[in-house]
Formats: sequence, C-alpha cells, structure tokens
Amino acid sequence: MKCDKARELMSAAVDGELTNRENQAFTLHLQECPACTAEFEEAKKTKQIIQEKIVRFKAPQSLINSIMELSLSGTKEPSDSPMID
Amino acid sequence: MSRPDPIRKSSPDTKKNPLSTEEQLKQREFQDEAIVHINALYNYALHLTLNPHDANDLVQETYLKAYKFFGSFEKGTNCKAWLFKILKNNYINRYRKNAREPGKVDYDLIKDFYHTIKDTRRDSTETETDYFHSLLHEEVYMAMQSLPEEFREVIQLCDIEGFTYEEIANMVESPIGTVRSRLYRGRKLLRVQLEEYAKKFGFNTEKDR
Repeated sequence: MKCDKARELMSAAVDGELTNRENQAFTLHLQECPACTAEFEEAKKTKQIIQEKIVRFKAPQSLINSIMELSLSGTKEPSDSPMID
Repeated sequence: MSRPDPIRKSSPDTKKNPLSTEEQLKQREFQDEAIVHINALYNYALHLTLNPHDANDLVQETYLKAYKFFGSFEKGTNCKAWLFKILKNNYINRYRKNAREPGKVDYDLIKDFYHTIKDTRRDSTETETDYFHSLLHEEVYMAMQSLPEEFREVIQLCDIEGFTYEEIANMVESPIGTVRSRLYRGRKLLRVQLEEYAKKFGFNTEKDR
C-alpha cells in the first residue's frame, strides 16, 4: 500500500469502518511508514479531543414538555407560540 | 365466552375518546422511539444554529414533522438517524427562507453562548502539559465552528453523535467515499485550528492572563 491509499483509509481506520482486508493492508503499511503512523495517531487524538471536549447540552425542560404535549395532542399543528427561554 | 382483549379493535362508539386506539399506540411508540433522542437533536440544532432560541424552534418543528410522518419511519432502522435527517432538512429550508448564510459564524455569539454555560460545566481536570489537553471546551467548539460546513457536519455526525458512515452518507446525501474523505480533511483542518488555539490561548499566554 502506498501513502496516498493509506490516507484515503485513514478516517475509516480511526472510526473502525475498515473492512478486514483494508484493515490488514493499512496496519501493514503503518508498520513501515512512520509518517502515516504519526498522522494516524494525530487523527485519533483529534477525534478523542472532540469527544471529550465538546459540551453536551440538555434540552430545556420547557422544550421537552412542549414536545410531549405535541405528541399527546395528536397531529394538531401547534400555534406559533413564542418559545420559553 | 369472552374473547381475549382485542386491543386494536375499537368500535365506532369509542369515539368519545378524542384519540383512536391506533393514535394512542402511535403516541406510545413515538415517545419510546423518537423522544428519547431529544438531547442529541437539541445539541445538533445548537451546533447548526448557534442560537438556543432557533435550536428550540428547529427541534420542535422536527418533532412535529416526525410525528406526522411517523408512519413512514421504517421500524428497526435507526430512528435517531431519521430524526437527524428531518432536522437537517428543516434547517436548510429555514436558512433558505430567511436568506441567512449557513457557515457564516458569529464568533461573538458563540462566545457569549459559551460564557453563559461555562460556569455550569467547568472541567477542572485540565492539568496536563500536553497542549491538546490545555484546550478548553470553548476553544474546541470555536475550532469546530470555524470549519467549512461540509467538514464540520460529518465530524459532528461521526464523532459527536456516533453515526456509522453509512448513516452519515444517507444523511448528507453523498457516497461513503465522500464521507471518508471529508472526515479525513476535516480532522486535518481541525487539528491545525486546535494547535493555533492552543498556542494562542494555552501555552504562550501566561503573561497575558
């Protein structure tokens, strides 16, 4: 495998989306290519940072309530009500 | 001889109940399948709109549509992915209607937004010397927002929401190969941004603090 092919597979390797065959070839390439290995490590780290550092918000209770109501009142169209903050 | 309770059989007399048995069943299923994803949808809407008020509206519209078309949702498939796709379509329509340009980022707005929640979600474990670990939530968020939409989107869907490539491809209406390469390029761009933030706000700013 050449570096450009490895780069093509890089994201899928990070996300565990490679087929067995691709995975084998990719792993073999990494063993002999420090540059791609470094890039692979960086890509994994970037993913990890996003997962760790992106704040997850909770939907406001008012929103949850209005959606529960919406589904409880059937398919009735809600009025253009101002949202509660 | 009494028959086993035929739940689905409702005589015309039961019309007193405003909702048919079928409708009630639909409601229950909708709550179990769809409403459980409300936090994920709200986060996605926030990332797209950068505005809690718009995010509220967007999520509400999404659920309204989802409920109407719940009959067309294929059971056994990923309901979260289905909802995301509806939200995305709503978002596109809304932006087109308002002639606002998605991708144009109001950094002040993001900053304000972040500062309002910062106090409640402080991470106090950032003592490592690795520059990546010196990054704050806000900086990672800003770096994400600075990416062109096509890259930001796939990163969000993959890394934050955990969708498979196949699901993402379906959502963004592109082949899997495109998803792969967007993720590759997007992460590379993001890395550059993160390094810049780390340099700007992390290591070299001791004297500025």
